[in-house]
Amino acid sequence: MGIVIAVISGKGGVGKTTATANLGLGIAMNDRKCVVVDFDIGQRNLDMILGLENRVVYDMVQVMDGEATVQQALIKSKGNENLHFLAASQSKDKTVLNSQKVKKLIDTLSEQYEYVILDSPAGIESGFEHTIEFADAAIVIVNPEVSSIRDADRAIGILDSKSQKVKDGGEVEKRLIINRIAPDMVKRGEMLRSEDILDILNIQLIGKVPEDRGVIDASNQGKPIILDKKSIAGQAYQRIAARLCGHQVEMKDVEISDESLFKKLTGIFK
Amino acid sequence: MFMDWFGKKKSATIAKDRLTIAIMSDRASTGEFPFMEQMKAEIVEVVKKYVGVRGVRVKKEIEGDWEALSIDVELEPRG
Repeated sequence: MGIVIAVISGKGGVGKTTATANLGLGIAMNDRKCVVVDFDIGQRNLDMILGLENRVVYDMVQVMDGEATVQQALIKSKGNENLHFLAASQSKDKTVLNSQKVKKLIDTLSEQYEYVILDSPAGIESGFEHTIEFADAAIVIVNPEVSSIRDADRAIGILDSKSQKVKDGGEVEKRLIINRIAPDMVKRGEMLRSEDILDILNIQLIGKVPEDRGVIDASNQGKPIILDKKSIAGQAYQRIAARLCGHQVEMKDVEISDESLFKKLTGIFK
Repeated sequence: MFMDWFGKKKSATIAKDRLTIAIMSDRASTGEFPFMEQMKAEIVEVVKKYVGVRGVRVKKEIEGDWEALSIDVELEPRG
């Protein structure tokens, strides 16, 4: 049985889908079999970020309703055969989900894949609840910004009370990704520091992703940024994916940008 | 200039203070009591035996070591 990880954020627009795509691909690049599922019904986007929008024939709702088999609906990633993708339904709305159907789909996928990653819809409504219901673990994405952090805390609260694992007396493991960190702003005291965010949310960190304009360029092309070995966000996702695969990777202080380090070093010799 | 250096709080510090308070109050009013909705429904049932009820609000208040649930039962308008 594979591990089921829900990617959640509470607030929309913080980079949840981008993170899902990059972590899925990153895990596959570590030679693990991985499937990413878009649970954002009615607002399908993971297909675009992965560059697979033209290959979608069947979606996950059709699989749940028995109109297609899982094998028919799974789409193989272009660059990596370890990664598969299951699209959200674009025409239906989230009310089509029910616990029984979701459980059956997730059970089927976790029999075939080592990692099942679920891209949750924003908000804390029923679509979100179904995404976290059968998750073993959750990755919480925040931006260093008050509304994102507050909404994430609400999402974590619901995860801790409504997931099946918690109802069975267990615990859903949670890890935080802080996304879109602007080192210069942190340095000037204009952006929350990672330590403060961890304090407030009381959650363990799995990675910090610096602001990187290349992310938009990558999504324009449907090529996740992790494929760009030189990009700072891509490197951050590589480190997080490795950690998810059980490798010990030192936490890089992205708040100290390489550029400022370089300035400091040259400053010494002035 | 002097005030800028010593008088003004950095906005990240302000953010941390505001978030800490907002999240504490969010948690107090929700996450901690998963039974809240059921309790509210039961309170409505009991009070309804005697008088018309429009709704119930439950709030947790904390001050130092002191904790309390304040329960507001809103009655149906008379008439």
